[in-house]
Amino acid sequence: MNIIFMNVILIAMILALLIPIVEVCKDNNVWQKMLALSSISSKTTMMIFIVSVLRDDWMIGVVAVIILSVGNAGFMLMAHIMKRMRNA
Amino acid sequence: MTDSYIYIISVLLPLAACMVLFQVNPYHALVIRGILGAIAAMIYAIWGAADVALTEALVGTMLAITLYAIAVRSSMVMRVGVLTEELQEIDENILKDDRVHNLFGQLITDLRKVFQNYYMRIELIFYQDIKELDQALIDREIHTTCVRSSSLEPDNLDETETQPYQTKTRVKRLYNIMKNELSSSKTMLTYFSETKPEEKH
Repeated sequence: MNIIFMNVILIAMILALLIPIVEVCKDNNVWQKMLALSSISSKTTMMIFIVSVLRDDWMIGVVAVIILSVGNAGFMLMAHIMKRMRNA
Repeated sequence: MTDSYIYIISVLLPLAACMVLFQVNPYHALVIRGILGAIAAMIYAIWGAADVALTEALVGTMLAITLYAIAVRSSMVMRVGVLTEELQEIDENILKDDRVHNLFGQLITDLRKVFQNYYMRIELIFYQDIKELDQALIDREIHTTCVRSSSLEPDNLDETETQPYQTKTRVKRLYNIMKNELSSSKTMLTYFSETKPEEKH
């Protein structure tokens, strides 16, 4: 019962992941694409968390934590470079 | 096997890869490469390869994108050499708010518009006199020079009035783009063929 419930959550998550992907295809503004990127990366990390709990595998969980924390730092760096490109 | 979601997730990877392939704007392609990296890291983690996922997230997504952003920024640029007196003219016109008579500003705006279609930036580099400017063009410090016709040929007044600026470029591709798309009549275009044809830029 519990596993089926978790599977339903994951499939709902995959459907939610499709929303920013469609947004990336449609919109032409680079900042909208950055928003979609951060949305997708947060969602994928949450999905990794769910899978790690589902399988009781803490190795995957630790990876998700690192991706979540370091990935956001990377996006901040990238956003700064893009902002400087616009200003130049 | 109850993990049916794995197969649905795996479809996302070729989807994201196709999005990167069909993107023409290099900056947008970088962002979509980040999306591809996030999805790939998720798939690797779900398939049980935690170390690969970590590497993809740290190196593939973060480091590669940052380095490529710097590379694209520094390579997709046309360096235009101009004289320092134009800088003074720009400053004066900004003070006077005299936009109509600022021919140089208009010309640069037109150039920016043309090269925006090719995702290129225009970078202005200032030089003291014509000699330095020509030497910089020969030394490949700049791609294009843009000077007033009157400072080159003070006698030829007729041409100076119709085309007050003279743009000279050493890159054939840039010359072709400007010749075909620069509708502004403010400048005369010339192609500067290099003396050493065996070397490639």
